[in-house]
Amino acid sequence: MTKDELSAQEIALYDRQIRLWGMATQLRLRSSKILIINLGAVGTEIVKNLVLGGLNTIEILDDSVVKPEDFAGQFFLPNDDSVVGQTKLPLVVDRIRELNNRVNLSINTESLDSLIANKQYVKAFDLVIATELDKQMILKLNDITRELNIPLYVSGMHGMFGYILTDLIEHTSVSVKEAGNQPRVVGTELSRNKTITNVESKEKSNDEIVTIRDVFSPLKEIFKSQELPKQLNKRQLKRLSGVVPLIFALFDITRPNDPDTVIDVEVLRVKAIEICNLLNIPAETVTPDYLDVFSRQAFAEFAPVAAVIGGALAQDIIQFLSKKESPINNVLILDAVNSEMPIYSL
Amino acid sequence: MAKDSYLKKILGAENFSRIQSSKVLMVGAGGIGCELLKDLVLTGYGEIHIVDLDTITLSNLNRQFLFRQNDINKSKSLTVSKAVQHFNYLNAHLVSHHGNIMDTNKFPITWWEQFEYVFNALDNLEARRYVNKMCLFLKKPLMESGTTGFKGQIQPIYPYYSECFDCSTKETAKTYPVCTIRSSPTQPVHCITWAKEFLFHSLFDEVESDQNLTDPNQIRSETDNEAEIAFFQKESTELAELRHLITTADPPTFINELLVKIFKADIERLLLIDSIETRRGSRKPTPLDVVRYSSQLAGLLADVSNENILNLDTKMWSVLENIYVLYKSSEVLQERIVSGRESSISFDKDDEDTLNFVAAASNLRSSIFGIEIKSKFDIKEIAGNIIPAIATTNAIISGFACLAGTKYFTTPSHGTDYSAITHKSSTIFVGITPNKYITSGTLGPPNEKCPSDALVSRGVFKISPTDFTTLTLGWLIGQLENYGYSRDDISIQKSNSKLLYDIDYDDNVDLTLASMSGLKDGELILISDDSDQLESLELYINIAEKTSLPELVLRPKVTHDEPEQENEDGLLENGMDVENDGVILLDSEAENEENDDLLIIDDEPSPKRRKIA
Ligand SMILES: [Zn+2]
Repeated sequence: MTKDELSAQEIALYDRQIRLWGMATQLRLRSSKILIINLGAVGTEIVKNLVLGGLNTIEILDDSVVKPEDFAGQFFLPNDDSVVGQTKLPLVVDRIRELNNRVNLSINTESLDSLIANKQYVKAFDLVIATELDKQMILKLNDITRELNIPLYVSGMHGMFGYILTDLIEHTSVSVKEAGNQPRVVGTELSRNKTITNVESKEKSNDEIVTIRDVFSPLKEIFKSQELPKQLNKRQLKRLSGVVPLIFALFDITRPNDPDTVIDVEVLRVKAIEICNLLNIPAETVTPDYLDVFSRQAFAEFAPVAAVIGGALAQDIIQFLSKKESPINNVLILDAVNSEMPIYSL
Repeated sequence: MAKDSYLKKILGAENFSRIQSSKVLMVGAGGIGCELLKDLVLTGYGEIHIVDLDTITLSNLNRQFLFRQNDINKSKSLTVSKAVQHFNYLNAHLVSHHGNIMDTNKFPITWWEQFEYVFNALDNLEARRYVNKMCLFLKKPLMESGTTGFKGQIQPIYPYYSECFDCSTKETAKTYPVCTIRSSPTQPVHCITWAKEFLFHSLFDEVESDQNLTDPNQIRSETDNEAEIAFFQKESTELAELRHLITTADPPTFINELLVKIFKADIERLLLIDSIETRRGSRKPTPLDVVRYSSQLAGLLADVSNENILNLDTKMWSVLENIYVLYKSSEVLQERIVSGRESSISFDKDDEDTLNFVAAASNLRSSIFGIEIKSKFDIKEIAGNIIPAIATTNAIISGFACLAGTKYFTTPSHGTDYSAITHKSSTIFVGITPNKYITSGTLGPPNEKCPSDALVSRGVFKISPTDFTTLTLGWLIGQLENYGYSRDDISIQKSNSKLLYDIDYDDNVDLTLASMSGLKDGELILISDDSDQLESLELYINIAEKTSLPELVLRPKVTHDEPEQENEDGLLENGMDVENDGVILLDSEAENEENDDLLIIDDEPSPKRRKIA
């Protein structure tokens, strides 16, 4: 395996994706080392997609033991009830490796808390994905990734709802796009912090070479950002649902040990309204309907929703690494009840 | 074991048990199929039937995560249901069928009746249309889904309540004028088409199979330049002679004749008739200097290690290398025919010999016309109609397909009255923008011009074996009057358009249904109202235990004679964007593809109105 060339076998295996994103992206994937924290349903989907994609190294960090409810969406677990109570990662690693033995796959069952103290550990990776973390841990981790200049993706799900938060620090992508009726203009903000910085017309074609630069806010800014109402027109603001404040509220609520536990509606309501005030969005968005749904579905795993979130996140990592497409900047929300998937720049 | 705690919380305990006792069909076990089956199994579907006729290939493994290296060449449908057992935590009953969904012997209409819901995970237009039609006959809800590259779409179909698959037109393969391909190419794709569909086809494939590129009527419709027409005829004659040489000459003679005739003599003849009119924007061709290259070719051929050139898929071969590849591939193809192993050879992108031949021939033609050379890797994509496909888009689309299908099971059922679920459902289009990842749209009513569901109703006409041999066509006509038809106004045709009855042709009225030629189980009959009052009715004849006609209310016939302008408005009202964004080429040959989870994006849906959570 040479550094800058794909082997004939790799080209044959990755044929259908190379035809989409090119050899250069495939080579970038082959040289990327990624850490993924926690292997829940969303983590399972992300790992599947990235292993299939052909990354260089993936380390999974998770110290949990198998719980009965894990069988809802974590399809690498053996189909054997007796594994409940055993440490999860050693039970799944072989099945993951089978997907693509070209990827260096490793598992780590130490606790995140103890590892995070050691910056050298995180430093070994080109990118970190953290799933199912609470806010305190997210901020702690983000401090480190910021300091080390490592991009961070944060993701998780609550039943029919899911989220992706990104702090990729900064990113520049160059892609060939079809020239529309209106030429692209340097300086255009596609969204906040996502700016066209260069446009060249491609010779002998109707295409433009477009450079887009993304700048990211640290995640602690997202949690108190006042940007959301500015990005919505009056009508959008009026129909804004309670999904954002409720998902944010759940970052401050501990995941119950018993999957049948319902989160106290009052606790959730108070927390969500606090967040509405912080984000400068109307408290009325937190309707009783949404409160009820979120109190029941908080932290619940559901395979098809995990597939959408895990698919979108893995896809975005590939875009990020390819340097060809501009990544999600910086909050993606999935509302599978209403089939909506907005991206906000907070 | 509370494995289902979350599912009960999310779906509701009652809905969850409805899902657990349901029986659904998934057609296709490829890119979307693998992902969708995982989602369906983990959502708790009770019984899932899987139909696919394909076998697994290496290029599937980058995304069809249920398959492994040692599954290559095995049946997809059989392999997926085995693979799923690893995580069949909720004990779904999986039934695999290796076969073509359009095979009416294997999958008669009575077989279809058992399913409550149909998920399409197909890669070709023909099968999609067929499943759509079966679902219209049986009024089964259908989930249509497709992806290509980073884009994808789902469309829930509730027969006669929402648009069916045929309600919007699909892009089909682009065809090029014969003259562009045969005398005035300007792009690599023209030369690839020429090499594959004209040169390769004429030399090695079955002669009888239809050939647009040699059709004299087609040629005359494009050009009235007699010299050019004569050129085309001469070229065809020469190819017939070359084809004869395959079995009568040795390889060096055959290949030398091929090079001289096709890449030199023909081009010289083309130059004799050269004019602006015949050029059509193409460059003036330069005949291949066969003599100059022949000694160098001999040098290359002398060293066996040069065979490695054939494996350099991503390299741009030089003219000499292309001649070398043409030589080596012709030699093998000739041997395959001479040995009697094959009487003819069809182009197949996965048949290396045919691909090498087409790549080299196409590149030589490109160099003659001053067009850029392409690598074998790129030529394979164009010649083989390969659609890029990735794991992530398939995962996302399958997730949405599962969610939208599951919505049907969490909505109170009203038999085949789908108004409530149609109102609650959305199409979803995945296409990433800075502000949103998906665009969803409400389900529009059937397109009033759609031949599949708007101009005709469909149903199954069940008839017992005894009734079939005793009841007459006259009896059937009487039954049809119950739908509101008048016997004086209708005509009845078989699917092949053969007339069975109208007011001026009542010869068959006293014949039993069984004695009418061709009427049999699985046959279709079409009833049309010549007085234009009621829509047409298509009946699927099914020999069954008990005789019954479908229960349905025919709609008044819609006539279309409005001016063009109004039609366009009508399209807009249906929520379709006139400007196509992200339209995907659907190639008619894509059905030969082993693995592409082909997307059919008609139009991006308009933003939907908000629905209450
Ligand atoms: Zn239709």
